[in-house]
Amino acid sequence: MKVTPWVCRSCLSRFARPLPSHHIRFQSTASTSESVPPALLARARTIAFEHKQLTEKLTDGFDTRAAKKLGEYSAIVNALKEWDKAKESVAELTSLINDPTTDPELLALASDDLGATRTHLVNASQSLTTSLVPIHPFAHLPCLLEIRPGAGGSEAAIFAGDLLRMYQGFCNRNDFRSTLLKYENINGTQEAGVPLSEAVLEIDSENAYGVFRSEAGVHRVQRVPATETKGRTHTSAASVHVLPSLQENSLGENDIEDPESDYYIDPKEVKLEVMRARGAGGQHVNTTESAVRLTHIPTNTTVSMQDSRSQPKNKEKAWVLLRSRLAQTRREKREEEMVAMRRSVVGVARMGRGDKVRTYNWNQQRVTDHRSGTTVHDLDDVMQGGHTLDKVMESVRSWLMEKDVEALLAEEAPTRDVKK
Amino acid sequence: MPRLPTSLLRKAYAIDSLLPPLLGPCRDLNSARNELRWLREHVDKVSRARYTKGGSSAKGGLLRTLVRKRVSGGKPIGAPLQYGLGTEYFGDLEIEVRPGVLIPRPETAASVTHLTRLVRDARELPTELRILDLCTGTGCIPLLFHDVFYSVRSDVELRFLGVDISSKAIALANRNLQRLRRSKKYVHKGVTEFMLADVLVNPFADRARRPDEPLPLKSALNFNKKRVFWDILVSNPPYISPSAFRTTTARSVRGFEPRLALVPPGEAGRSDTEQGDAFYPMLLVAAIDAEVKIVLLEVADLDQAYRVARMAQGMQVYDGIEIWRDQPDQAHDGSSQPSSEFPIIGQGNGRSVLCWRGPGALWLGKNNGEASNAGPLVQKPYSELDSVSKPEAVHSSLHPESFMQMQGGRRNV
Repeated sequence: MKVTPWVCRSCLSRFARPLPSHHIRFQSTASTSESVPPALLARARTIAFEHKQLTEKLTDGFDTRAAKKLGEYSAIVNALKEWDKAKESVAELTSLINDPTTDPELLALASDDLGATRTHLVNASQSLTTSLVPIHPFAHLPCLLEIRPGAGGSEAAIFAGDLLRMYQGFCNRNDFRSTLLKYENINGTQEAGVPLSEAVLEIDSENAYGVFRSEAGVHRVQRVPATETKGRTHTSAASVHVLPSLQENSLGENDIEDPESDYYIDPKEVKLEVMRARGAGGQHVNTTESAVRLTHIPTNTTVSMQDSRSQPKNKEKAWVLLRSRLAQTRREKREEEMVAMRRSVVGVARMGRGDKVRTYNWNQQRVTDHRSGTTVHDLDDVMQGGHTLDKVMESVRSWLMEKDVEALLAEEAPTRDVKK
Repeated sequence: MPRLPTSLLRKAYAIDSLLPPLLGPCRDLNSARNELRWLREHVDKVSRARYTKGGSSAKGGLLRTLVRKRVSGGKPIGAPLQYGLGTEYFGDLEIEVRPGVLIPRPETAASVTHLTRLVRDARELPTELRILDLCTGTGCIPLLFHDVFYSVRSDVELRFLGVDISSKAIALANRNLQRLRRSKKYVHKGVTEFMLADVLVNPFADRARRPDEPLPLKSALNFNKKRVFWDILVSNPPYISPSAFRTTTARSVRGFEPRLALVPPGEAGRSDTEQGDAFYPMLLVAAIDAEVKIVLLEVADLDQAYRVARMAQGMQVYDGIEIWRDQPDQAHDGSSQPSSEFPIIGQGNGRSVLCWRGPGALWLGKNNGEASNAGPLVQKPYSELDSVSKPEAVHSSLHPESFMQMQGGRRNV
């Protein structure tokens, strides 16, 4: 009698189902195009026009604000000039090639040249788009890098430790000042070498947030763990959070003269209305009209004050109130941004292996970033934080930039419609 | 005046039982609430003071009395709130007021503050700056000038003389001065005096003077051994014509404030407008006599401002004449600026006329106006000033006319 071994039903039914295939590939190849979106181009043109006006203005006299703006714009204007030149030469070459009367020798030269000019145009449009993309408001700030193991048990914890060493190596090589703010292994002690439970690395160099912003997300590892006895490949994950570190004292909160402060208000932006006695005023009327109303024009915040019989006192009080109200809204907005950022990095719910941003595969010795679609094969160099990691991070940054351009276009589209 | 709707009175009563009577003089709920709050604060202060002196601290009766006074005051319409509370704010200062003396107005405070700020920011000022205030009333103008000026700079001695025809006003002005001297923030610098005199009377008029009448201004200055020459003349004289007094003034002004401080005295054969303007020729003559460099005169409206400005222009001594509105420190909002021969500054009703000559332009920061377009090269007059010891001498080269006058009448004090 033939004995069939008992097989679990759920295991059997798994064969019937197709293999789970949710490969989220955000983008496989970096898009290269020689055309610049029309909205961006229009923006560039207006900026170039403004640049011209500012230059004229600065020849008459020096103005700090105008000079600063001019500096910001000059990169865009240069990129636009380059792009215009490249576009023109491409157009010239194409017309030469299409012209049937062209000398065949010249035709060969032109078609040779066209390829080079085309790539030049692609580069020019790339640099034009990137120069137009706004720099992230916190890009210049130092940052905090938090690493936590995700799905995958102690293998994930080991990998989290590997990641920490990778970033430390990267910081050392690139001269970023980094301090380990918090280190905790799975036993709850600070001992190194034991699988990691949480680490916070502070990178307090300038522009650190701009560099490390692209690292946030779930990093997936595929390898045969050191803890595995049967030689099976496991897939685990670790999450990386990157937050800009806003130093509160650096903002000088209570300094009302400092334009960086929350409490600063440009007096030109405030409209003062004083309650006047009805009619002729002066000696004709003796009612006490001491009410004062301040309106902050950009935010349309209004404060009116009529507590005191003295108008100057009311004015003073109204200013204090307006300052603190605006500071409050500014602070709230900043905190909201922080919260949104924290959520957008990775939520607790989205820490699985599926929503990875990067895969480290030991068997194939490769590292693939799923956002930019870049694959590199020098895994050891990446894990030491070497040049290969630079390459990967660079590719993600350019991918982020493209995303920003798309966001910018989406943002500008409705305003264009209004203008029409 | 339209009848107050019952719904408003009911609403007011729901908030506070003392509010409906206050609605009579105030006419709207918001200002009635403000007045009640100020009355309450005042009553709190008074009762606390009484309590520390050993009296009773009962508030209800006092508050009701004040409200009744504000509402009826023995006449059909209530007394001004300021007489009830005993004080009024003039700029930052709390000035004591009494029946029989005009209550200081916020418009006057605005123009005096603006003038003081302009003078305060001048680079070159004489070591002693003399300010004459004619028709001073509560003495609020010299006191505010003193306060605003010394709050920022203290390298100049200020000498004030406030003149009024009413002995009640002089007594109150002196009392206000004492009151401010006691306050902590008072800067003990400069000299402030008040003097009884009549601005309107011509000292050479062939007329018998009653012994109880005040002396004419010039004689009073000589008699009291006061300075004869002054630098700045400020005045808020009576400027309401009899017809305007009947029609445009508020009831509580007409009923409770002294007519002496509001309407110039009438004379036979004078038209209504002429009577309203009666003080200005005398004030302008007094300004010439005292060699004043800056004159600031308050007026009722833009029409009177034009008349006064033309009068000043007729004197042919002033280098510049301006008309200030209620808020001279505010930029004009751009609407309905009437084109006129005089520049009009600020927002609101036409409120005062400013004239200057000689160094007055420098004190007001006026004569760098045309030079500022030329850029940094303007420094020339100032560097000249540094090298020459007498600022007047430099200025006279800029203004030949004022040079003549200056030579003719040097200060003999």
